[in-house]
Amino acid sequence: MSSISLKNVKKAYGNDVVIENLNLDIRDGSFTVLVGPSGCGKSTTLRMITGLETVTEGDIFIDDIRVNNVAPGKRDISMVFQNYALYPTMTVEENIEFGLANKKIPKEERKRRIGEVCEIVGLTEYLGRKPANLSGGQRQRVALARAMVKQPKVFMMDEPLSNLDAKLRAQMRVELINMHKRMGTTFVYVTHDQVEAMSMADDIVLMDRGKIIQQSGPKELYHNPNCIYTAQFVGSPQTNILDGQLADGRKLGFRPEKVQLCAVKPESGINIPATVQTKELLGSEIIYSLATPYGVIMCKSGEDVADNAKVTASVDFEQMYLFDSDTKRLPFDAAAKKAVSEIFGGGSL
Amino acid sequence: MKEQKKKKALSRSAGEQNERLKGYILAAPAVILLTVFTVYPLGYLIYRSLYGGNLITKDPKFVGFDNYLNLLESKDFHQVFGNTVVYTLITVVFTMVLAVVIAAWLNSKKNRRLNEIVQTCIFTPHIISMVSVSTLFLWLMDSKYGLLNVVLNALGFESFPFLSSPATALFSVAMVSVWKGLGYYVLLIMAALQNIPTSVYEAAEMDDTPSLKVFFKITLPMISPTILFTSVVATIASFKVFDSVSVMTGGGPLNSTNTLVYYIYEYAFRYGKPGQACAAGVILLILVCIITFIQFRVSKKRVHYQ
Repeated sequence: MSSISLKNVKKAYGNDVVIENLNLDIRDGSFTVLVGPSGCGKSTTLRMITGLETVTEGDIFIDDIRVNNVAPGKRDISMVFQNYALYPTMTVEENIEFGLANKKIPKEERKRRIGEVCEIVGLTEYLGRKPANLSGGQRQRVALARAMVKQPKVFMMDEPLSNLDAKLRAQMRVELINMHKRMGTTFVYVTHDQVEAMSMADDIVLMDRGKIIQQSGPKELYHNPNCIYTAQFVGSPQTNILDGQLADGRKLGFRPEKVQLCAVKPESGINIPATVQTKELLGSEIIYSLATPYGVIMCKSGEDVADNAKVTASVDFEQMYLFDSDTKRLPFDAAAKKAVSEIFGGGSL
Repeated sequence: MKEQKKKKALSRSAGEQNERLKGYILAAPAVILLTVFTVYPLGYLIYRSLYGGNLITKDPKFVGFDNYLNLLESKDFHQVFGNTVVYTLITVVFTMVLAVVIAAWLNSKKNRRLNEIVQTCIFTPHIISMVSVSTLFLWLMDSKYGLLNVVLNALGFESFPFLSSPATALFSVAMVSVWKGLGYYVLLIMAALQNIPTSVYEAAEMDDTPSLKVFFKITLPMISPTILFTSVVATIASFKVFDSVSVMTGGGPLNSTNTLVYYIYEYAFRYGKPGQACAAGVILLILVCIITFIQFRVSKKRVHYQ
């Protein structure tokens, strides 16, 4: 178990600055997910913590010890790679044992640990096989076993589920959560998939273009985004933004799942006349795109409405976010509510 | 109705026949070339090895296995056989070890410019003809006026009898072919090295693996299919050495650099004994087959195909 902390970290490749002045604290024993679009610097951050990538400026601490100049193998970190990076010429057992042998752990101890880990991830019957003769899911398990068996202080994962099919991915998410609970080790997990981030993390670090946009728990991130970027990154379909109606370039945001297709009282929200454009049936819910006087908005609802039907799209004030012209979140006070209901026809009940 | 069906069946079978004919036509060029230039000469080689006579004998006499027996009893042939094996061992071992070491070194270098220069230097000899290379080294290795000995003398060493002593000539000839062939094998092995994903090395780094262990436990096993292939190719090429022997030593001194193919050439065209030359050719063929077979057999356990 360990805490990790990055202080004023900068990473540049030549003149190309990828990460500038990054400050990040990862709590001891937490399941922290670094999430963001491709190229946002999340993998680079992870690789700097492991030591596979050098730090251009700044310091990295693991348990308050500066590790900038400590070799990756000496940082007491395990890593699961995106493509698993198994040793193709070794059997499953040799793959798992390799790191332990390098650490000069006695043979009996190695065998015991391998037996234990393989029992947990369900690999016992495949110990003699080569990675080429395993399925994607089994390779994933070997990669996990290889990381677990070293009993590291920190567990790093770089998009470990991206090569699996949807069903297996959902199953592995649950297993990873269980694994984290059982081991109690600090997990740092990189993904571009907000579903993975939301479902597994204690702590989400949302990144964009080398900067941390917001760091908080998944609930907080969903209910309390600090800017439009966060609001739109989390949730599917993404948060509706009404732009151009409010004064001073302020924008109004609300999630599709908070749009109701029945009118609310004017003093508690807004009612927008709308026409159903398209309808996507998901089973439990339906996603509508609605044409309104303020542009197209998305709505996710359990109610079944016919195509081209005229409806009223209503949103409660409590479910709205107000952003300034710089896309930062603003408090949604009484004055703002009044302005919004005046503009968006809150009175059409 | 019946007639229509018949017609249909007929046309279908005609189509099938067409399809078959197409297959034969497409395969024909390769089959004809192979037959004319490989199968027929091979058959003739075996056939001629059973006959006596010389190059101008009209009807050579059938002598059975006499040519083979002559060869097996000949001390010269024993020496030639031994020379060929030793030459092959020296060439293949030096080539493979050097090629792997140089390729690994080049592959680990970050300096692209230097890399390209070194690669070009190493590869260039491969595109020069063996006869030119041999002539060049004949001068360089001259016992009195050769540049190599001039340099040795200047450094205070005695002259080295590169090609003039039976003890060193074979080794010298072998070194020339190592020098010439190295670049090609370095290139092949480098290609294999570049196919190893970096993430595997990163995983090894995370596993705190010492660099020698990385080389022997990860790099070498992962390029083993290429090493097997190149060593088979190098072995076969060494067994067939001719140009350098012909140009540099003519098999001497004292038969010490005479190899199988040069021996075959001499018997066929200098001594005019095609029967014996063909018999030696058959022996070379069998030898190469056996060695290739053994190489594949032995390496089955050691080569890791993914």
